[in-house]
Amino acid sequence: MTLLLFSQVLAACAAVFSITAFALRLRKFTQLPVPKDRSPLKGDPQVGINYALTLGMLPWAKESTRRHAVAYLRGVGFHLVVFLVLVLFLSSPWLGLLPAALRTFLAVLCGFGALLAFWGFLARFVEHGLKAISTPDDYFAVLLVSLFLACAAAMLANLALLPLFYLVSALTFIYMPLGKIRHCIYFVFSRIFFGRFFGRRAVLPHSQQQKVNA
Amino acid sequence: MSTKTDTALAILEKQLNQPLVAALEVCARCGICTEACHYYQAEPVEAHMPSLRAEQLRQVYRSEHDLLGKIFPAWTNAQPLTEEKLAALSEMAFNRCSLCARCTINCPMGVDTPLLMSTLRAMGTATGNAPEVLEMLADAAIEKGRDPSIYLDFYLDSIKDMEKELQQLTGNPQASIPVQKKGARKLYVALAGAHTILPAAAIFDAVKEDWTLSIYEAANYGVFLNDVPRAKAICKRIVDEAKELGVQEIIVSECGHAYHTLRWVAPNWFGEEFNFKVTSIVEVIADYIKRNLLTLDPSANPEAITYHDSCNLGRKGGVLEEPRQILRAATTNFRELTPSRAEAYCCGGGSGLVANPDVVDLRMLAGKPKVDQVARSGANIVVAACENCRLQLGDLSQHYGAGFGVTSIADLVVKAMRLPGAKNTVEAQMTAVSEPAVK
Repeated sequence: MTLLLFSQVLAACAAVFSITAFALRLRKFTQLPVPKDRSPLKGDPQVGINYALTLGMLPWAKESTRRHAVAYLRGVGFHLVVFLVLVLFLSSPWLGLLPAALRTFLAVLCGFGALLAFWGFLARFVEHGLKAISTPDDYFAVLLVSLFLACAAAMLANLALLPLFYLVSALTFIYMPLGKIRHCIYFVFSRIFFGRFFGRRAVLPHSQQQKVNA
Repeated sequence: MSTKTDTALAILEKQLNQPLVAALEVCARCGICTEACHYYQAEPVEAHMPSLRAEQLRQVYRSEHDLLGKIFPAWTNAQPLTEEKLAALSEMAFNRCSLCARCTINCPMGVDTPLLMSTLRAMGTATGNAPEVLEMLADAAIEKGRDPSIYLDFYLDSIKDMEKELQQLTGNPQASIPVQKKGARKLYVALAGAHTILPAAAIFDAVKEDWTLSIYEAANYGVFLNDVPRAKAICKRIVDEAKELGVQEIIVSECGHAYHTLRWVAPNWFGEEFNFKVTSIVEVIADYIKRNLLTLDPSANPEAITYHDSCNLGRKGGVLEEPRQILRAATTNFRELTPSRAEAYCCGGGSGLVANPDVVDLRMLAGKPKVDQVARSGANIVVAACENCRLQLGDLSQHYGAGFGVTSIADLVVKAMRLPGAKNTVEAQMTAVSEPAVK
């Protein structure tokens, strides 16, 4: 068995583990009750949900993200690159078919994402507030993701590094449902609950409040 | 494990539903919410970070529900619940968070930190870690509800006296304050004290509203304890009264938590959609103005006036534009605080804090950003549509020597109605309310 094949099989098994663990976690979560809200509507919960999942995430939508625009955009940036690398992982057997220029562009993008993630790792050491709320899990998770993105960049620049990318991917996939990275599956739910609460009351988006009171 | 920690953990387990688990799991510990908290704004220390507060419940949750937390607790900072930790968590949830939800609005994930703090309040209440004063006030309200006949005669007598004041104020000898009037369209639920009854009664008289006064107070201290059976019992008195009288609408006095509870929470406790509406007096007055039922003279209120959004009425209650519509109609020099509406700062007095004499210093600290906001606005009168906010704002004005007065929306409206007896009665009421509660 070649190193490439071994790493491919390992990464595939890790991906299956990750998907299964996430599916089980999701199943357990969705079996929990969602309290029924019987209070009469003032606004439209769906409008609130739509806002929470779209315009409400823009950097200027909240005081906090306006204040921390750089940190917020760094976070958004590296999360977007993570999704890109997951797509690249799925299409990795055919990456050699991509034009060299596109591969280079993707490599630069992934490298940039890795830098953003690593910046987040360093920030946890430097910023007092962040340090106070960070656990070893936080440091490890963000370092692992930095490595994952860096290996993707390296692999795109030189396809001979595919085994390394697969090995790091395997480690990432195994850790994903166990550690802090699992917050990703709760994100959409959290934003939906948020949007439903404030949308129902016509608090968000503010245009809803103005419409109700016109 | 002790009985107390077992009880607290049982409460946590019972409350674990999708919104709570999402709030426990989704935080990425990015710290972006930090400055959203008025406690942190006033004193930028780590202990006031909303994420750090919430993290302390997550530590307990992880030690119970997280695989890594169980195997390598240090890795995820999972910590078992001990009696000491329970006491510290309760103290934090009751005294160092006013459940204002400003951190939630500002969180990129939308983490419902007030939900986590409310869960901790429920755990604290069930284990004897809640502030005694809140328990006493909640129990007293329940006791009064059990047998209203104990105080009803005295109450009706005082309403009769108040009626005379109302007639003098309105110049209408027929003006009345109906109580327990069957078939009235609207049931008005006031707070303790004439200052929440007289102005509303004058407004109802002016628009010839078909109303009746509740024999109960709107305040609900069970809500602050997050003790649903107690909070529901307090609420039930009013809900039953509304059903018995056959009213179409309950109007809640200018009280943030009472409005939020009756309007948004109570239908879920009772598992029913009420056959009456629940509105705030603020919404009702705005509607009267919109329908040209009230004639107001804004020049009666020429002072520099600003509006403080109560968290329960505004951010959590959806009453954001109505107070502004009223103030634009009833005053000539209205200016906004910055930020306001959904992003408004909490005054630091909500969620039972104003009733707890043990936390006055902390309350004054937490209100500092609000005082600074008022100073920046240049206003010398702050209007608040919540009794707890008004008490807190009055205390803040006095504590910081800020010199602003505090009043209610209904008081300003009555002033703008230019009623014949206003000088001797309502203006006197306004002064009384504006005076600081803590000397």
